[in-house]
Amino acid sequence: MLAKKLEPVSAAAAAVTALAAESKAAEDAVGQLLAKIKDKSDKVRYEGISGAGPVGAAAVKPLVQTMADGEMEVARAARRALWNIVRYAGRPKARKESAAVVKELLAALAADAPVNVKRELMWMISELAGDEAVEPIAALIQHKDLREDARMVLQRLPGKKSLAALRTALETAPEEFRPNIAVSLRARGQKVAGYPSANLEPTLQTKVQVLDAAALAQAEKEAKETKQSKRKGKKQ
Amino acid sequence: MSGKMQLNRRRFLAAAGAAFGAPYFIPSSVFAAPGRPGANERITVALIGAGGRGNGLMKELDRSDVGHEAQTVAICDVDENRLANSLKSYEPGVKPYRDYRYILERKDIDAVVIATPDHWHAVMTVHAAECGKHIYVEKPACCTIEEGKKMIEAVNKAKVACQVGSQGRSQPEAYMMHRYLVNGNIGKVSKVWAWHYVSPSDNSPVPDSDPPPELDWDAWLGPLRWRPYNRRYLPGSFRWMMESGGGQIRDRGAHVMSCAMWWMGADGTGPVTVEAKNVVFPTQGVWDACVEMEVTYEFKNPDWTLIWAQKGEKTHPDAPPAEERAPNENQISRPGYGAIYFGDKGQCHHWGGDGGTWAEKKVREWQPGPGAKDVRKSPGHFEDWFEGIKTGAKTIMNIEAAVGVANLTILGNLSAILGRKLQWDQEKYTIVGDAEAQRLMSRPQRYPWVF
Repeated sequence: MLAKKLEPVSAAAAAVTALAAESKAAEDAVGQLLAKIKDKSDKVRYEGISGAGPVGAAAVKPLVQTMADGEMEVARAARRALWNIVRYAGRPKARKESAAVVKELLAALAADAPVNVKRELMWMISELAGDEAVEPIAALIQHKDLREDARMVLQRLPGKKSLAALRTALETAPEEFRPNIAVSLRARGQKVAGYPSANLEPTLQTKVQVLDAAALAQAEKEAKETKQSKRKGKKQ
Repeated sequence: MSGKMQLNRRRFLAAAGAAFGAPYFIPSSVFAAPGRPGANERITVALIGAGGRGNGLMKELDRSDVGHEAQTVAICDVDENRLANSLKSYEPGVKPYRDYRYILERKDIDAVVIATPDHWHAVMTVHAAECGKHIYVEKPACCTIEEGKKMIEAVNKAKVACQVGSQGRSQPEAYMMHRYLVNGNIGKVSKVWAWHYVSPSDNSPVPDSDPPPELDWDAWLGPLRWRPYNRRYLPGSFRWMMESGGGQIRDRGAHVMSCAMWWMGADGTGPVTVEAKNVVFPTQGVWDACVEMEVTYEFKNPDWTLIWAQKGEKTHPDAPPAEERAPNENQISRPGYGAIYFGDKGQCHHWGGDGGTWAEKKVREWQPGPGAKDVRKSPGHFEDWFEGIKTGAKTIMNIEAAVGVANLTILGNLSAILGRKLQWDQEKYTIVGDAEAQRLMSRPQRYPWVF
């Protein structure tokens, strides 16, 4: 009788112990991953990158922080490891893992980070997320440096909510940016009045001039002379 | 040319097409010289992407049997130094541009040669087709599945001739291989095993920096999402970036697998599964294309397997050594890639698969007997393109076939970066059962470099 009464307590304790062990294992895995990513050897960093996928959501925040590391190759390794986590989480039948990774990516996007890191996070989100990402991404349409990426990510995010966000953006985005939004809406099969695409309107000018026969002869002469002087240099 | 003249030309072409039931080519120069029709019937061509490959292509065009029928009138590049230097290799009066859309606006230009990094191929091809230009575009045709679809739609809608630069199909020894295989010399082919040496790693990575003043970095990126300049991205090293080049599988795979699809009669078909294994990526730097990989494509009805094996140091460890040839024979200059064809009665192989395609000796020596099947023999890649321009005939590496080959390379790389096997439904033209992979079938483009 006494044993039976104690059973639920034991089960709960076992569950807590199991959770703690799981959490400790995850912590260890993140620690090991980060140690590899920050290693001086590119081969060790590569081991970290290659094995990052299963470490999952727990590694997102520290990897995002490491993406801004002052050591160029460490920052790159963190970015590549994070991409591998995204690709691993996106595999079929891994919805929970994918949702956990998206949650962490969105939290990182909301925190302070360099623009180029944020840009990268947005594209990671674009591969996995659903409606939960629409509002935070749509908010970035107002961010001058990130709005074009935000527009493209909204275009990729499936569902009615992203479409509605694009529709709203068409009315609220700065006027000069609305043709961009219209492109995304059209790519999603929507009819848009106005804001025609300027995709075939040339704008970029070169300073290079047409060569007439005399200029061409002069260029040929100079090329010949350069070749000859190089040959002489080699002989000497 | 006046607006009235342009309208007249368009109307005439439409009327001619309707009358003859097929495209009927009138060089724009005929209309560009009122009162002198026929005085200059050359096809006016513009080069977009005036780097080493682009200028090399224009030389090849010049040396080809149709070189005298072509006149280069404009070149375009987003690097001012390259543009200025390239201009010196052409006739006086060739007009330089930074923005290819000025070329597309010109009604006196009939055709464009697109030799840019891969990430530009689709947008430029679609735009060129929309402006009625005939197109020669470098391989691989496209970087995403969606890009390929748009290219096919645009080219077919505009009824322009499009030749994609997998010129292996136009090589004399490719014809020999094709003929040898279709005549059953090795029986029913069940496996094609293509080999290639590895993609490079960057052993001296550099930080991002400001672009050099002569380069319009924004225009170089074009439809790609923006990122800071890094001098490892270009010029030729775009090939080792997954987004803009995609590594050897896309570069040479678009040649060797183009031959395989052509000779196996598999154009218009696709694999049912694609799986990349033994994938090795660079350990550092910005290059991210697979250094090593082995991709298996399974085809059904008929059943056959295509393998892209990219491994080893300089060349593939299991590749057949370069065949010794007599001095008067066409020598093998690139033995580092090729393919072995396995049939139920034997096997045969070739080296190369691009502008250099070399069939093994027994293939070259085989003589077709009475009743032997013949196959299409290309007069040359540019010659075949010009034939398409003049008659409306389908080019040997037409856009549908080229997109089919590019799709193989895209799916191979997708399987590599996702780390899993992909299922492909050719009829529905989609990846099946993998939502993330499906999203990666397309890539939103940066405005205004959009379809």
